[in-house]
Amino acid sequence: MPRNGKLVRITLALAAAGLVAALAVVMAGAASAKSSSGSVNGAGSTFVQPLVTKWEGPVQSALGISLNFNGVGSTGGVTAITQKQVDFGASDAPLSQFNPTCTSCVQIPWALAGTAAIYNLGGGTLQHLKMTGSVLAQIYLGKITKWNAPAIQKLNKGKSLPGTSITVVHRSDGSGTTFNFTDYLSHVSSAWKSQVGIGTSVSWPTGEGEPKSAGVAGAVSSTPGAIGYVDVYYAVHNHLGIMVMKNRSGNFVQPRAAGIKAAAALDTHPAKDGSLSIVNPPKSKKYRNAYPISTYTYVDVQKSSGGNAANIKKVLNWAITKGQSYGPALIFEPLPKAVVTFDKKQIAKIHS
Amino acid sequence: MSAADLNVLERPHDRLRRRRVVNRVMELVAWFAAALAVLILGIVIFSVARRGASVLSFDFLTKPQLQFAPPNVKQGLANAFVGTFVIVGLATLMALPFGILIAIYVNEFASKGIRSAVTLTLDVLAGVPAIVIGFFVYGLIVVAHGQSGYAGAFALAVLMLPLVARSTIEVLVLVPDSLREAALGVGAPRWRTTLGVVLPQTIGGVLTGATLAVARVAGETAPLLLVSSLGASGIHWNPSQPLSSVPLSIYELADSPEPADHARAWAAALVLMLFILFVSLTARWLATRSRRKIAQATR
Amino acid sequence: MTSLDVTDATRRPFTGRRVRFGDLLLQGVAGIAALGALVLVGLIAWKVIEGARLSISTFGLSFVWHVAWDPVHNQFGAGSFLFGTVVTSVAALVIATPIAIGIGLFLSELAPRGIRGPVTALVETLAAIPSVVIGLWGLLVLAPVLRDHVDPALHSALGFIPLFGPASYGSNVFTAIVVLTIMILPIIASISRELFLGVPPELKEGALGLGATRWEMIRGVVFPYTRGGVAAAMILGYGRAIGEAIAVALVIGSFTGISANLFNPGNTLAAWIAQQYAGLSTPLATSSLMFFALILLVFSIVVNLFAQFIVRRSARRQGLSR
Repeated sequence: MPRNGKLVRITLALAAAGLVAALAVVMAGAASAKSSSGSVNGAGSTFVQPLVTKWEGPVQSALGISLNFNGVGSTGGVTAITQKQVDFGASDAPLSQFNPTCTSCVQIPWALAGTAAIYNLGGGTLQHLKMTGSVLAQIYLGKITKWNAPAIQKLNKGKSLPGTSITVVHRSDGSGTTFNFTDYLSHVSSAWKSQVGIGTSVSWPTGEGEPKSAGVAGAVSSTPGAIGYVDVYYAVHNHLGIMVMKNRSGNFVQPRAAGIKAAAALDTHPAKDGSLSIVNPPKSKKYRNAYPISTYTYVDVQKSSGGNAANIKKVLNWAITKGQSYGPALIFEPLPKAVVTFDKKQIAKIHS
Repeated sequence: MSAADLNVLERPHDRLRRRRVVNRVMELVAWFAAALAVLILGIVIFSVARRGASVLSFDFLTKPQLQFAPPNVKQGLANAFVGTFVIVGLATLMALPFGILIAIYVNEFASKGIRSAVTLTLDVLAGVPAIVIGFFVYGLIVVAHGQSGYAGAFALAVLMLPLVARSTIEVLVLVPDSLREAALGVGAPRWRTTLGVVLPQTIGGVLTGATLAVARVAGETAPLLLVSSLGASGIHWNPSQPLSSVPLSIYELADSPEPADHARAWAAALVLMLFILFVSLTARWLATRSRRKIAQATR
Repeated sequence: MTSLDVTDATRRPFTGRRVRFGDLLLQGVAGIAALGALVLVGLIAWKVIEGARLSISTFGLSFVWHVAWDPVHNQFGAGSFLFGTVVTSVAALVIATPIAIGIGLFLSELAPRGIRGPVTALVETLAAIPSVVIGLWGLLVLAPVLRDHVDPALHSALGFIPLFGPASYGSNVFTAIVVLTIMILPIIASISRELFLGVPPELKEGALGLGATRWEMIRGVVFPYTRGGVAAAMILGYGRAIGEAIAVALVIGSFTGISANLFNPGNTLAAWIAQQYAGLSTPLATSSLMFFALILLVFSIVVNLFAQFIVRRSARRQGLSR
């Protein structure tokens, strides 16, 4: 053996040990994957992520199934389920918005909440700023750049707004929340509709992009003078300023249970593909307290879901019934009965 | 010497003094540059150490990550550590033999033309951005078969390959032909000589290359983003599923609004840097040791 | 790249012997591995081109300078991202190079014996810090400092230049430039240091003996001698900056337009790929993203080959001048 034979021997021994260990790990991992058949994996919308994550514990104890969710954004979720990489995809935008989309999926509206327009001007008297859709659109179009602009000041008489620049924050990844927000802006601003349009990812005229709802909340929370849009849970959880939006009936409404519930009354019968639109309800006594940027969020499942279909159905049936009771604490409004009925029929379409 | 130095109106003494002043100024500039580098490094390391140390605990290393959990619930990043361990381990198993074989071919068998072609290829491969490699593996494996730890390991192996191959070539070249001739003279066949005589001489260098490659690749986020990012919660060892990893967790925690998430990102960064530091020191020790051995063997 | 006495493998002491099966086996297996490396690079190029094909056929070459990223109207172009890539990497190179050369000089000429080792180790440690850690630090430590103190100061002092416009974003092009500078600094510095150490002492002593000050010696001997290598180091650093995705994605703020203001958010080719990793809304968008990867691939290969060419040319020149 050559001079450094000792090192050679040690290396070979280590390599052999490493190989054996690796094989053991791989086999153990593969074995455990086979035996833990009680697991359902999903990915997608960060809008619904707080609620789905909340479900993980109760689902484990009530159904013995390990629920697992990756918040990668609505587009990521639809991509994942289209490529059959997960058991379900979650998206706040209907499947028709995506291309390629999951043509072999059922779309099931499983939660209901609002998109809050958030901002950071410290606390105090500047909480609950009043805002209209058209002014919001102008801010996001880059036409209004300072907080003390006359348009904003006019809506908030009596409050002294600072002269700081408005730092616009939006999503950089494909997002159902973006879809909901741009849907609303297109309804209230023809300039937005023609220049930018509606989508899960758009060409933003101004502002910085952050990934995921958490990213937007994080950027607004750490930047004085910032404005953003995010599922209302993140806004409340991170103590961010939430704008009070003027609806078409002329009332200023907060994104809370009452406002969302009123908006949900606009459309309680899902279309054939399962989608519902409750954005910007018209002027009417019925919708006078509606929050104009409310939205349903969907779970998409492959109709033929293989061996895990039974578990998926169990989890979904639980989610649209018992799971809804976990919603209000996270500012999700329970599904209307008609939607639950529709959902049950959709879930029945899933087979192995 | 520039024209200014030939300014004959300047007295020689003044000219000399001016040149000395310029020299001094440049020396100070160089000192300043070095001080700047040390300062930046110090600030970065200090930030990581200070912010990460407070979160570092046994729980952090052993408990899995929980999303949206209330602050009093103990959680850590065990899933990420396990994931990185598995992925980097598999990557090393893939890249090491491949790289060594390439180095053996280039140095022991190849003609000059092939040697140039292969080394050029390795250099080109080393220069491809990690994100492009990630996209490549995405197109190659993930689109058809979904994400997995194997895909992540493959992507990292592609990054490691040029490093392992190049450092092995460098050490193989150092082994003198007299050693090969000696084995030849005793009647050993070529393959026996290469594997049994030449290669063992280079073990130190090979290990150095391997450890440096591991250090480089343990912190790579970009390829894993595209290829192994849908990791399930809880601690998983199975490479046929997507696995979490430490750099990816840092990347995701960085954008969060929760200070607790930031703290965990810092702690993970601290662990990562300590690991890389340990691995680099090991590599350096192996390198000096191997150089000494070869010097001894060739006396 | 060391100059080693390398004999052609076919002139090694082995040729002419009887060929054994074991020899053939080893040569075959090793040869396959070497071939595999070539195949791998080819495969990478092919996969990327194939992925970009839809976008190439839709937009053609004008994609490269077209400024758009509009999934709603299915209009895509690399223009603004290419702009961001070029601006950030060139700026980082311009700032990092003098500092890196200064460090290289310090470590090869000026540092006292005792400091040389530790500071070299420190510079190499800086190179070893993963990009995600630098990005984390840039986002949580550097960006707030720049946003609250440095950017407004620069704006009020130099605001008449469009580069230093209004500053309100923490994540912006300027932060990305600083982060990239920190990342490529150690690469250029350590290569420069090795090059400066490689200058033959007799040349340096000759200049000093003629009465040159140390700076004059450096300027007159060291720099010209290492010119090619330093240029190659700069190019390698530049290549690194172009391909950096993660650290930039964390601090550049993701804006898909073109703006002259350094304090506005921006984007680069690599960072955008990292930000869209979860998926894209249309196949044309995905293909356009692959087109970005293709541009980066071409860039990196060209940069690499160019650096090699410069090294080879300067080595030849030095060989002749001896």
